Amino acid sequence: MKTKVTKEEGKITIAFIGRLDTPAAQEANPVINELMEDADKTIIIECKDMEYISSSGLRIFLTLRKAAEEKKGKVIIQNINDDIRSVFMMTGFLNLFEIR
Amino acid sequence: MPYALFQSGIKICIMNLKEQTNKLTERVGKRGSRWTGLLLILVAVAFLQIISLVQAYYAHKGILSEAQTKAESQLNSIKSGILNVVNQAESAVRNNVWLAQWSLQVPDSLANIPKLIVNNNPIVAGSTIAMVPNYYKKRPLYSPYTAITNGEIIETSLATEEYDYPSQEWFTKPIELDRGYWSEPYIDTGGGEILMTTYSVPVKDNSGRIAAVLTADIDLEWLKTLVNDIKIYPGSFSTVVSRTGRLMVSPEDSLIMNTTIDEYASKVKDTASFNALNRAMLGRKSGNIQVTHNGKKNMVYYTHIDKTGWAMNIIIPESEMFAGLNRLNNLIRLLQLLGLLLIVLIFRSIAKSQLRLKYISEKKEKMENELKIASDIQMSMIPKTFPPFPERKDIDLSAALVPAKEVSGDLYDFFIRDEKLFFCIGDVSGKGVPASLLMAVTRSLFRSVSAHNDNPQEIVSTMNNSLSDMNESNMFVTFICCVLDLKSGKMQYCNAGHNAPLILTDKMSELPVNPNLPLGVLRYWEYTVQDVTLHYDDAIFLYTDGITEAENPNHELFGIERLKHTLSGRKAAQAHLDNVKRAVAGFVKEAPQSDDLTMLFFHYLNDSIQGSREITLENNINEIHKLEKFISKVADDAQLTESAKSCLNLAMEEAVTNAILYSGSPTVEVTARTGNDDITFTITDSGKPFDPTAAPDVDINKDALERPIGGLGIHLYMKIMDSVTYERRDNRNILTLTKKIDKNSIQK
Repeated sequence: MKTKVTKEEGKITIAFIGRLDTPAAQEANPVINELMEDADKTIIIECKDMEYISSSGLRIFLTLRKAAEEKKGKVIIQNINDDIRSVFMMTGFLNLFEIR
Repeated sequence: MPYALFQSGIKICIMNLKEQTNKLTERVGKRGSRWTGLLLILVAVAFLQIISLVQAYYAHKGILSEAQTKAESQLNSIKSGILNVVNQAESAVRNNVWLAQWSLQVPDSLANIPKLIVNNNPIVAGSTIAMVPNYYKKRPLYSPYTAITNGEIIETSLATEEYDYPSQEWFTKPIELDRGYWSEPYIDTGGGEILMTTYSVPVKDNSGRIAAVLTADIDLEWLKTLVNDIKIYPGSFSTVVSRTGRLMVSPEDSLIMNTTIDEYASKVKDTASFNALNRAMLGRKSGNIQVTHNGKKNMVYYTHIDKTGWAMNIIIPESEMFAGLNRLNNLIRLLQLLGLLLIVLIFRSIAKSQLRLKYISEKKEKMENELKIASDIQMSMIPKTFPPFPERKDIDLSAALVPAKEVSGDLYDFFIRDEKLFFCIGDVSGKGVPASLLMAVTRSLFRSVSAHNDNPQEIVSTMNNSLSDMNESNMFVTFICCVLDLKSGKMQYCNAGHNAPLILTDKMSELPVNPNLPLGVLRYWEYTVQDVTLHYDDAIFLYTDGITEAENPNHELFGIERLKHTLSGRKAAQAHLDNVKRAVAGFVKEAPQSDDLTMLFFHYLNDSIQGSREITLENNINEIHKLEKFISKVADDAQLTESAKSCLNLAMEEAVTNAILYSGSPTVEVTARTGNDDITFTITDSGKPFDPTAAPDVDINKDALERPIGGLGIHLYMKIMDSVTYERRDNRNILTLTKKIDKNSIQK
């Protein structure tokens, strides 16, 4: 699991590459904490190369979503595969996020 | 209620039995093979008749031969009596012929010769010397005659005009024949009516010319006496006839000299028969002939006296001759009749008892048939198709019931419901039809109660209450009921007074059972449930005491040790049962089977071809990587699509993560069993109790700010898995998760 954060003008893109399982989510915590500071901006979660997500991963998304809500920012999730889409569906995440 | 149905069934059965017994006693002897009996009697009669005919034939022959011997000896005796007289008479005359010859010269002296003959021979009643007419010129007719009448000697002459001696037979015949001649007998009227005959001999002079005839008259009255005295049978008699067939001696005096056989024959009805007799007697022969007179048969034995030309016979009525034989025959016939009667009676009684026997055996056959049908019905109540679940790889189960009688009081049963294997075994007290009916009731109860209950304790209790309610016959059933969760291997069981089953793990031991009471003994008895976890390759052997208590001729019991020995080794369930049957049969040898042999062998197998997998994870979140690989293998075993694999992995990761992060258990065990259409995981930890199935679910429709961070994991695996059960046992959390495999989740 890798994360790649790209900062542009007014928006930050974080790409998850590989499996976002519980250990990976724990590993990603520092990155996410860093990202939280930019929650007033638009955070794009790039899922093009994300194979898998567990509830820990979802919690990261939800944490970001909550932070963005507080700081008037925005979280956009893009390019989720079908499996992840179904997980989103099961958890109601499809309605919580703007998904492209 | 099935029980009520069986109760009325029992009553109907008993009533039928009584009815049939009554009919049996009424109808005995109505049918039978009468023809065989008749034939037998006819054969017996024929046989007896043949015997008596043979016997009669030989007796007849013997009697005839005896009669002939007797008759011939009598005839000979008469004959010799007659010949004695005849010879004396002939001698008396011949001895004086020379004197007469010599005296011819002196005619007056001739008169002395008859006198001499009469005086010297007492048998001679009269005598004359009758001169040929004109031999003496002076005396043309000369015949001086001496007779003895009433002891007085009278001398007279036969040369009278009335008598005309030269024309008499006694005078003419000897001259004609030129030898001595016995005249036809005649009745002499001179001195009373006396039967007489005359012997005459010609007398020649010196020139050889016949000069005179010398005679002797013989009184034949002695002949009558001689002949009539002979009676060889009370009704037999004799006759003597002259050479012309004239009757000289006859029981009927009126016939004497008045008739000939010839004349008699023409008068009677049996002419032909008498003519034959006539011919035979006048034929100068000896022999015998059968003569019918007045419809009655007579045997006539006859002989002939050459010198006089007489014939005589002995006539024996056959009725007399065979009177003894007939009496004997009648006696024999009477005895035969009695014998036949006896045979008939014996036959009838045999036939009767055979009929009874036949009827009883028919009845017995019918009852046996009915019992056979009952047995078939009973056997059809218990599952008999093995293997019973061919589609299941996790069950190798076989059961057998070998009844000691036509019907059995034992039962076993098994079925699968909701991935649970229900199986049971039972033994009804007593044997035969009553036990079999109770067996049927028990089996029905088991099926109906276990259809909606999977707790053995409740199943057994309900059955016990039902059976106790209506147990009028005070019979009971020992019973053990097992319910195995095929996914987890957890087996609950409840024993009702049955002997402990054997459990075969890496060793063989008796499954610990609480004894409890048998079913039907006490209502509301509180049965206790027990449990055991079966692992793959473990086996359970349920049996009734008919096996361990099978007795050999020395009254030794088969026993549990022999049973354990027989069951050792890993074999197919059916092979185990066959081995036990063989071992018991080999042990009891010719001793009759005293109890039903019933057993059930269940071998718990790993149901997936790929095999089960298990993994033990340490309490470290990075162990999730191992879990991922583990789940990947399990999913590959089941040939799941990547998507399904991912989904399964997610659920398991969530469940295991919770155990790792929150239970505090040092290790977490995960097992996976791949069935044909599902995968079951168990997650076991020894941490603090936590029942996720009781945890509140997250509300996925809440606004982002209101949604809690946690709880998503449980929600996910509850969503993904088809069933999730939690159990706290032995201070362990056991979470069982099952995911069904549908065709969409399998790789194409």
